[in-house]
Amino acid sequence: MTALAELALHPPARRSRAATVTRRICLAMLAGLVLFALVGPFVLADPAAQSLDRYLEGPSLTEPLGRDEYGRSVVSRLAHATRLSLLLAAACVGTALLLGTATGILAGWRGGLVDVALRSTSEVFVAMPALLVVLLVAASSPDGGVWTLYLGLALAQWVEYFRVVRSRSALLLGSPAVEAARLLGLGWPHVVRRHLWPDLRPLLVTLASLGMVTSILAMSTLGFVKVGLQPPRAELGLMITESFPFYDVAPWLSLAPVAVLFILTICFLSLRRTEDS
Amino acid sequence: MTVVMVVGLASGCGATRADDRGGDTLRVVGPFEIHSLEPTATSGFFTRLEVAETLVTADLEGNLAPGLASDWSPSQGGRTWTFELVPDVTFHDGTPLTPEAAVDSLETVRRDEASPLAAAPIEQIAATDTGLRFELSEPNLTLPAVLTHYSTMILAPAAYDDDDHVSELIGTGPYRIDRIELPASIEVTRFDDWRGTPPEIEKVSFQSVSRAESRALMATSDDADVVWHLEPAGRQKVEASDGVSMASTLQPRTIMLKVNNDHPILGDPDVRRALSMALDREAMAEAVLREPELAATQLMPPSLTTWSQPDLAPLEHDADGARQLLESAGWEADDDGVLTKDGEALRLNLLTYPDRPELPALATAIQASAKEVGIEIDVEVTNSSEIPVRHADDTLELALVARHFALVSDPLVTVAETFAPAGSEWGVQNWSDPQLTAAVDQLLTGPSEDRAEELRATIVTIAQEQLPLVPVAWYRMNAAVQDRVEGFVFDPLETSWHFSQVRWAS
Amino acid sequence: MTSSAAPARLARVLAGRALQAVGVAVLVSGLCFLVVQRLPGDIAYRIAAGRYGYDLVDEQAVAGVRSELGLDQPAWQQLLHWLGDLVRLDFGRSLVTHQPVLSEVGYFLTGTLQLAAVALLLAVAIGAALGTAAARRPGGVVDRLTDLWVAGVRALPAFLLGLLLIVVLSVHLRWLPSAGQGGSTTIILPALTLALGLSGLFARVTRDAVVEVRRSDYVRFARTKGLGGRLVLLRHVVRNAAVVLVPYIGVQAVIIIEGVVVVEALFSWQGLGHALVHAVFWRDIPVLQASALVLALLVVAVNTLADLTVLWLDPRPRGQEALR
Repeated sequence: MTALAELALHPPARRSRAATVTRRICLAMLAGLVLFALVGPFVLADPAAQSLDRYLEGPSLTEPLGRDEYGRSVVSRLAHATRLSLLLAAACVGTALLLGTATGILAGWRGGLVDVALRSTSEVFVAMPALLVVLLVAASSPDGGVWTLYLGLALAQWVEYFRVVRSRSALLLGSPAVEAARLLGLGWPHVVRRHLWPDLRPLLVTLASLGMVTSILAMSTLGFVKVGLQPPRAELGLMITESFPFYDVAPWLSLAPVAVLFILTICFLSLRRTEDS
Repeated sequence: MTVVMVVGLASGCGATRADDRGGDTLRVVGPFEIHSLEPTATSGFFTRLEVAETLVTADLEGNLAPGLASDWSPSQGGRTWTFELVPDVTFHDGTPLTPEAAVDSLETVRRDEASPLAAAPIEQIAATDTGLRFELSEPNLTLPAVLTHYSTMILAPAAYDDDDHVSELIGTGPYRIDRIELPASIEVTRFDDWRGTPPEIEKVSFQSVSRAESRALMATSDDADVVWHLEPAGRQKVEASDGVSMASTLQPRTIMLKVNNDHPILGDPDVRRALSMALDREAMAEAVLREPELAATQLMPPSLTTWSQPDLAPLEHDADGARQLLESAGWEADDDGVLTKDGEALRLNLLTYPDRPELPALATAIQASAKEVGIEIDVEVTNSSEIPVRHADDTLELALVARHFALVSDPLVTVAETFAPAGSEWGVQNWSDPQLTAAVDQLLTGPSEDRAEELRATIVTIAQEQLPLVPVAWYRMNAAVQDRVEGFVFDPLETSWHFSQVRWAS
Repeated sequence: MTSSAAPARLARVLAGRALQAVGVAVLVSGLCFLVVQRLPGDIAYRIAAGRYGYDLVDEQAVAGVRSELGLDQPAWQQLLHWLGDLVRLDFGRSLVTHQPVLSEVGYFLTGTLQLAAVALLLAVAIGAALGTAAARRPGGVVDRLTDLWVAGVRALPAFLLGLLLIVVLSVHLRWLPSAGQGGSTTIILPALTLALGLSGLFARVTRDAVVEVRRSDYVRFARTKGLGGRLVLLRHVVRNAAVVLVPYIGVQAVIIIEGVVVVEALFSWQGLGHALVHAVFWRDIPVLQASALVLALLVVAVNTLADLTVLWLDPRPRGQEALR
């Protein structure tokens, strides 16, 4: 529900040059991280390979982020963790977006009983804390697998898309322009493409970028509560949790995943601003 | 990167604080939670806090010592045991400890299947004028040791509700319950009518804190006087700070691999030996436990002096030897470097549980060690109860477990269970050795001390040769103790925390 | 309640929320039930482990648990049983601790409510202060910094914020205890962790509201009227800001509840979130169902309160309640 709340609160529109520069920097950083996540796992060392005699080794030329408490390569673990976070978040957001948009258009178009049923369902989901849904779903998986996380996060997010799309499409579908298109015998694909999509696109992009943030943070949070992914899988939240006890002797351990998490969220938040209408 | 700046700034300053934060309460912090007041489900909490007592207790060396019973003796070759109660003991509610009350307490516990007392061959517990008499169905010499187990604590009749659940913990110890908030906090106060020397510390509070790093912080920032179980990083913090120091003792606990000896691969003793040789125990103990000397050289830790065999050839790391053993056992590397035999790859599943944080860490270390010699291990960290489940349906392959060998004061009880010919949940699986079984049975009949020593050596040696359980590491229990606490003693058996003997440093 | 339409609106709000509560209860029960059905591992073993500690878990102990709890009934019987008990408000006893679930959940609920209330107060205070400061000169330095703050706290997950606060306030400055639940100071850190995360949004709402009010006629009116006018202005500003802010508190309820789970785990604070994680781990089904239910109903309750407050502040009838 965070997304809805923030949607209503447009950040002060600043079309200054500084803002554009900031946005470009953010985009560049995001692109860099995505590249790191996609290419890193193929070129870096095995993230699970331990060399116990080299635990907590400091950063060096070969290992720019040093080694963790099992002597595993931090930079490699970070690449894997970033990839996991990005892919899983993208999958959750994609699923929630499709599901939410489809049901939203359906409710806006059909109205009547379908609308009432879908709306009451969404009302119930709105009141369900996402973390609760994910916790309950994750509890039923034998090993805290990726699938349950995905399912739980997607389930928890579709409502936002549904609500926004439903209210917009109800308005649009009743508009004279659409009426005219229907009278001309242009089919649904045309209506969706020419009338709905242009109007919904900025909203959906904003929601999706916020959804990415929510998913990434939720994942790391679940890793922290130890419900979710299991070690030795590299995951940002797990990496932060595992490295916290060493924050004073090996600060690079905690700072790396924290920095990645922070940059990811900031960048996705800034994406939202480019789409302000 | 504000984060970086904040941390950088903060690490520069450390303000001091007055030392009297705890007042006259001894503040104890540990990872354990108290789930219940049922004696069997208290994990020994109330006997350790000295709220409740058992008939028999154990001293720091693990020898039996009088608790609520002043002395005890067997007759009919151990088929009957009589216990004499200490006279004039009062419960915390002021009622006297009578033989009947003690019998009722024990009878209630005996119905709880999880208590070791339920497994004792007891036919009847009768109250005599001054104590209790146990009638057994077969001779048993370990009964007094079983009666040191915390589940056999004696509670007042008023402690139980109508359906025999404990509703209020009314014991006989030097401390009585002040306030209890399950699962996380307990406060106790000195019991003025206690029969022994009154404790100097008037109040003790216990607080459960599950995160190890939080506990370490509490130890270094003087939020607690005694903090149990710190992890290596936390121990270093405590050692580096003033006003608090680490205390530790070796526990009679061994971290070991439980092996399904009926498994097509692991049934071969050579594979088990190879797996054992593949383990670089010292490096693991150094990296995970930060103490290379905790690497297990045999099943029984040196803290169990009667059981440990110093002359036994130790388990050693020998990767080349492991590879040769596997090769001679018919395992050959295929094109991908994976060992196979008869078309089957050498892949094993290893279960472990997160209750003890070092277990998952050691499991990943074992995984890496085994990979060196070509054994692929998949680690599965799950709830501890999964191990008995898979033991029961025989799907278990390997499990990394921590086994306490002195659940009751005499390790023999636990050893007998660990090597039970029918297998045991936390011991061997599908493995028995006639010579070892005979030795255990003979020990249970109470032979002479010289003979017992021979028998114990036999048991440990056979276990070392056959490796039905692969020892990995021993276990050290630790606590951070503030300097204002004096007279803190560490009981390796954790029978009691002995706070009644602790003093404030003057 | 001034307008004549108010009672009707009140009834509509309450009816809608009541329906939502029923829906939530059904959904949570259903989810819990599915979870229990799909649970990996043997429930009786899990419960025995939770109860006795793993060293004592063997087949006899498990058999004891199984027969005692009637876990061998078919699933639908267990569900019907539970729903029947729920209607009678009988939540049964915890499988692990033997305590009545109602008293146990009540104890945890108190902890959570304490924490959430202190966190909300702190968040509103921090947010209002920042927002007012930012509104003094829209687009100025303070405004920019506030923007940065809003983005910053939004981008930090609660557990990370908590860890940072521990490191700074507890370890290095030694001002506050880092964990536990005892004296009055122990609540500050967990509440502050939650509050900082929430404060960003409050700051922005406050800022926008204040900026808007200052642009309006009231300000001119106040300037001409002197001190009395200032008071009127203040009342007006606060009221208007509150009308916007209160629905957000409702929206934030979900976030608070989510944050509570994490923060409680981090600071060992005995509350519902902590109970929930434990119940999941130990398969303590009655406690799992009850604490999940209470958590979800809390969200509905907070939203209902927010609705009523808005009605009371601003009884003017409105169209679609856009914010929820």
